[in-house]
Amino acid sequence: MRLPRSKGRTSLAAGLVALALGATACGGGSGGIAEEGEGNGQTLTFWHMEQPPNRVQAWQELIDRYNETDPAFRVEQQVQDWNQIYSKIAGAVQSNTQPDILFTIPDFTTYVRPLGKVRPVTELVEKLDGEHTFIEAATAPYNDQGEMWAVPLYGMVQMLWYRKDLLAEAGVTKAPETWEELLAAAEATTRDGRYGIALPAGKNLATDQVIYSFMLTNGAGQFFTEDEQPDFDRPETVETFEFYDRLMEFSPPDSANYSWGEPQAAFNSGAAAMAIEKGQYLTPFEEESGRPAEDLGCAFIPQPAEGGQPGSIYYSNAAMIMAEDDERAAAAEDFLSFLLEPENYGDFLNAEPGLFLPLTATGVEAESWTSNEVITKYRDCVDVMMKQSESGALFGFVDGQYVDKIGNISGQNVLAQVIQMISVQGQDPATAVATGQQLMLDAVRD
Amino acid sequence: MSSASVPGTEGDLRTRRGRRAKGSDDVAVQRPARRQDRGEKVLGIVLVAPLVLLMVLVIGFPLLNTVILSLQDQEVVGTPSSFVGIDTYREVLGDSALWQAMRRSVVWLLGNLVVQTVLAFATALLLTRVGRWSRAARTWVLLPWVIPTVAVAVIWQWLTNSSYGIVAKILGLVGVDGVQFFADPQWAMPTLIVMNSWHWFPLGAVIVYGAMQTIPEEVYEAAKVDGANAWHRFWRITMPLLQPVLFALGLVGTLWSFNIVDSIYLVTRGGPAGATTTAPVLIYDTAFKAFRASEAAAMSVAAIVLLGVLAWLYIRLAKPEEI
Repeated sequence: MRLPRSKGRTSLAAGLVALALGATACGGGSGGIAEEGEGNGQTLTFWHMEQPPNRVQAWQELIDRYNETDPAFRVEQQVQDWNQIYSKIAGAVQSNTQPDILFTIPDFTTYVRPLGKVRPVTELVEKLDGEHTFIEAATAPYNDQGEMWAVPLYGMVQMLWYRKDLLAEAGVTKAPETWEELLAAAEATTRDGRYGIALPAGKNLATDQVIYSFMLTNGAGQFFTEDEQPDFDRPETVETFEFYDRLMEFSPPDSANYSWGEPQAAFNSGAAAMAIEKGQYLTPFEEESGRPAEDLGCAFIPQPAEGGQPGSIYYSNAAMIMAEDDERAAAAEDFLSFLLEPENYGDFLNAEPGLFLPLTATGVEAESWTSNEVITKYRDCVDVMMKQSESGALFGFVDGQYVDKIGNISGQNVLAQVIQMISVQGQDPATAVATGQQLMLDAVRD
Repeated sequence: MSSASVPGTEGDLRTRRGRRAKGSDDVAVQRPARRQDRGEKVLGIVLVAPLVLLMVLVIGFPLLNTVILSLQDQEVVGTPSSFVGIDTYREVLGDSALWQAMRRSVVWLLGNLVVQTVLAFATALLLTRVGRWSRAARTWVLLPWVIPTVAVAVIWQWLTNSSYGIVAKILGLVGVDGVQFFADPQWAMPTLIVMNSWHWFPLGAVIVYGAMQTIPEEVYEAAKVDGANAWHRFWRITMPLLQPVLFALGLVGTLWSFNIVDSIYLVTRGGPAGATTTAPVLIYDTAFKAFRASEAAAMSVAAIVLLGVLAWLYIRLAKPEEI
């Protein structure tokens, strides 16, 4: 075929462009972190979902410190979104572009493991345990089939937070210790456009967690049988939801759309006198509330006066290694070991002091942590949190159990759905809990 | 491009050579022109090929993959699965959750269509007025559209928060207390529709405004001379002449609105009590919260079919005569 010269050139150019585009498309499909690493032999990628800028910055400083030690692989953090990580990690694994290190919580691990790229880290955890001594509650949720699947890094536990000034105004002189006292305090402080407590009741994990803390105090924390089948529909569960619904009468009217941020904002703005959450309430309290640190009170999660027991949701955040080859995996292990060294560990935890709690014996005593300004200022609260951690548990991982499909239940926020059936749709708690049982059975069916 | 030879080009020379060799023989004159046609065709194919290839890769392949996935029993995305035929379809289509979500999608779609159309038209009509304010507004009206969806979601959540939201405070001043915009099943969907429409109406407004500028002023003047009032001019001139633009905007906007997940998910996650769980939200939850990838794929295929039918009906019923 002969073409006019000018058109021949144009065709040739077009053909080259097409070839280039095709090549680019192919390259885009096969490229990724592993290949990048091989290309320059230097970069180790770790994904985490701690988005607040202060946390990212604090960890970057630590990463810079690690990179200054001239490691075989330099570390690079990439911040992800909890809402998108489920789809993103699945896509990354399918395209072989998964990170070398992925932060996790216990139920997320049950989701990621079947993707087939998570490496067991049993030997590393045993080595670190020998050096730093992990608390058992931190390692248990990652122990399955005789292997450890993630390296625990920090713990989180929920507390009752209260505004001493607002409780005092309402004549409440001591922190509530029982459910009845909590209801009374919430009722007393609900006045003049203020609410007694700000509770999350949206369809989200924040709601699941607060409800679960109360379930633990009422002996309803273990809702799986020995063969990992849901056993949710029990009187203790119904009682807990009844209580939560009563408590919601003293929570802002749009609580049914509340997640993590709204209760804290209401608490700090003085729109609510109490809230139940983890230690992220410490750092911003003075600045956001305009009140002195002494006005922030914290206490154990209130429990039923009769038959109650200490309890709160507690879980360790950890890191999974998903590196493609042994060399990169070894480098990932080296970085995680660096983080748990006492001189670095405190700086790691201080990315969010009070929220990120140490889970090693050497970490609890590490000066880099204990000397932090926030930890020093709120030391009493921190001690209460550490004490509360001892009675902490997480659904699906109670009493050494490892429910493979817990992610299916937590992913669908079944506990939050049940409270919405009660508080939004007006169902009676027994019916809603029975529906919750069915939702759980559907969630774990094969 | 025309098949006639351009004077001075190689094709033109060849034609002249042909004439010299064969005199006035038409066949000899036609042959080089046909070669040229073929060359242009090849050139066209080469130019279009990358785009077609790209479309096949980024649309065709995922679509085919979704259909294949819907015939399997995969749970977590990317894990091993086996072929189960249409069992997944039976399960999904027999589940009332899908049809309830489809109904909510229709409400969402119609709500957005009506609110955005009214807002876009009203804004476009205001922008056509002559004056300093309307000139300035032509730029500023785009502001909601350029705000990222995440920011829109946060802004509206703050505006409507019962403790510190300005909307709640203003309503409180006029004696309306306790409206739970995103926490009440009755209010959540309408509020989301208003929020989403506020975000997207500027795009429609600018397109309608641009189309209005193409209508000759003389037509309106002639109508005025004939005694047509403003309403008649709008209804008899503006609307008919805008039909092709409105048709395209309606088609694209409908498909676009149906598929929105982010606005809903960021604010209510489909709640409260499922009141805003539209079909795309249900599909997302099924795939990435319930970890039932094949069921989500089957729902997606059902949604694609439904959208195809809707688009076909829309084209059949609303296609302007000029097109």
